[in-house]
Amino acid sequence: MGRPTSSSSSIDSPNHFAFSSTASSQRDLTTDLRLGLSISIAPPFVREQWPPMKAAVAEEEHECNSSTFYVKVYMEGIPIGRKLDLLAHESYYDLIRTLEHMFHTNIIWAEAEMDRDHYEKYHVLTYEDKEGDWMMVGDVPWEMFLSAVRRLKISKC
Amino acid sequence: MHKKMAFSFPDEVLEHVFSFIQSDKDRNAVSMVCKSWYEIERWCRRKVFVGNCYAVSPRMVIRRFPEFRSIELKGKPHFADFNLVPDGWGGYVFPWIAEMAGAYPWLEEIRLKRMVVTDESLELIAKSFKNFKVLVLSSCEGFSTDGLAAIAASCKNLKELDLRDCEVDDLSAHWLSHFPETYTSLVSLNISCLGSDEASFSALERLVRRCTNLKTLRLNRAVPLDKIANILRHAPQLVEFGTGTYTADVRPDVYSDLAGVLSSCKELKSLSGFWDVIPDYLPAIYPVCSKLTSLNLSYATIQSPDLIKLVSHCPNLQRLLVLDYIEDSGLEVLASSCKDLQELRVFPSDPFGAEPNVSLTEQGLVAVSLGCPKLQSVLYFCRRMSNEALVTIARSRPNFTRFRLCIIEPKTADYLTLEPLDVGFGAIVQYCKDLRRLSLSGLLTDRVFEYIGTYAKKLEMLSVAFAGDSDLGLHHVLSGCESLRKLEIRDCPFGDKALLANAAKLETMRSLWMSSCAVSFAACKLLGQKMPRLNVEVIDERGPPDSRPENCPVDKLYIYRSIAGPRFDMPPFVWTMDEDSGLRLS
Repeated sequence: MGRPTSSSSSIDSPNHFAFSSTASSQRDLTTDLRLGLSISIAPPFVREQWPPMKAAVAEEEHECNSSTFYVKVYMEGIPIGRKLDLLAHESYYDLIRTLEHMFHTNIIWAEAEMDRDHYEKYHVLTYEDKEGDWMMVGDVPWEMFLSAVRRLKISKC
Repeated sequence: MHKKMAFSFPDEVLEHVFSFIQSDKDRNAVSMVCKSWYEIERWCRRKVFVGNCYAVSPRMVIRRFPEFRSIELKGKPHFADFNLVPDGWGGYVFPWIAEMAGAYPWLEEIRLKRMVVTDESLELIAKSFKNFKVLVLSSCEGFSTDGLAAIAASCKNLKELDLRDCEVDDLSAHWLSHFPETYTSLVSLNISCLGSDEASFSALERLVRRCTNLKTLRLNRAVPLDKIANILRHAPQLVEFGTGTYTADVRPDVYSDLAGVLSSCKELKSLSGFWDVIPDYLPAIYPVCSKLTSLNLSYATIQSPDLIKLVSHCPNLQRLLVLDYIEDSGLEVLASSCKDLQELRVFPSDPFGAEPNVSLTEQGLVAVSLGCPKLQSVLYFCRRMSNEALVTIARSRPNFTRFRLCIIEPKTADYLTLEPLDVGFGAIVQYCKDLRRLSLSGLLTDRVFEYIGTYAKKLEMLSVAFAGDSDLGLHHVLSGCESLRKLEIRDCPFGDKALLANAAKLETMRSLWMSSCAVSFAACKLLGQKMPRLNVEVIDERGPPDSRPENCPVDKLYIYRSIAGPRFDMPPFVWTMDEDSGLRLS
């Protein structure tokens, strides 16, 4: 995870930064690499945001090879939408969990159970398919959904 | 005696002298000489450039420069191009348009980069500026063709409408018909980003036919090949042309039509487009190739032999954008045919594939560096690199000003020696003394940053990913790179120490971006409190940073100097570390 940050006792003193340039050169970095020590950065790089290319050039012609599929998600009442990578999810449950976290609400979809007395706490999740129709999420197999979905909408009950 | 000399030039004379000074840097320098020069300069500045729209408020700009005609604004950080900046982050242009609408009815030019532009903003532009001439939107989003219709309908003197790399909500292609039949002043039109669903060909044809001063026309993918001939027939004066989709059933009449009309375009210097290109139709452009200085084939999925044939016809090429289908062999031909080449960009055709699909290696870049004496700007994606190659490149091409190398797999070592690429990039910064922009990749330790801090004295922009071992790396860069303006870093083990030790440096730069690094929330707060002229913003979609321990690293950090104070339009996932706002968190 890289170096742990030091305690804050002398952070704001500009002279605290007493690194000497010989300190790190004395370490045998190649040994460290071979032993897999300390150089690595813990979280594996995020596929969707690497390599650094503008979307247009990256996605051209190779959507089947691309490992991302971003769709827009709007919540009723909020003009600014979000974007979500559907391919980063493995199932409807995964997707619902992300959406519930992202929008701080309870989501109704084809397989949800709802407390009918408190419908105001719920939002319905629908998607726009290739024909422009708005359908409830969850009726068709996940892969079929991925091939049909164009954008998502979260509406009040 | 001195005082008499200073007042011996009337203001008009100074103003006349200043009118020859166009560059912002020079104008800024002029304004710092003395108070009277500051005053004279601010009244006659006609073009204003704001590199970070949050560094200053619209009202401040208007107050200082009462008579400008042209404004350029930039919004989101560069890493927004790679989806690292969440939607809703900011960069809204509307407040600027609203302020200028009242103060500058004579505004003529607006150039925006990475900003959110709504239809409302476009409608306000159309309504407010009677002599509006130039609208360039680069990598912008938030508007639809409705907004474009408003511009088309109202801006009678519009000369330039350029929507390069924008994300536009394509509601209707009929916005083009909103240009009145009496409108003829178009000189440059770039709609290459518009969606593939529709295009209004007849409106486009009529527009091109009546705008006889049209010099630049970049079409979108929806325009089919057989329509291009009809459009080009009316615009033989074009200097820059972007095709639509470059494929069709191979029919001799379509081919000869196209070839005929292209060969009558005697002024053509730049070509682009070429979506879905099939090789059979490429020879149609051979007649214009000898005059071409710029060729953008980044959408052309044709293989090396066809690319080689094409490139061999273009001896005057100065700028080439191409996919890695060109391969090392194609780049060798480029090196021997195109001695005027100044800029080369090679994009990966299959960036996510595990195995290389083409034979493009470091050898291609070496060949071009050795063969093209004027080469100064490179963006190169490849899968392997060696220190030896980089040293050869640096030694043979010390005139590089922009060097961006992306080895696709992060932390890839020198494939010959398995060592880090520190020495190779070290050679680049040592030999290329005028280097202004550098992007690093591959396996890199703190050592490469030591080289950069020592040698890269003219470096203005540095992009770093998956590199370095410790804060020492960041410290080398911040303490050594005297000309540094923009630094963007992702996934590096850089933390609090280097940042806090070099806090003052940050005020001399435009901005610093750090994501997936090791900077703690505590350090961010400290920096925000100690440096009132810096806006320190934490971007974290996990929730408020104070809901985690203080020494927990923040997800993303964006620091920029500003005289406007913290901004007011932050979305819920952005927190400012400004002293006053800091109280809100606890």
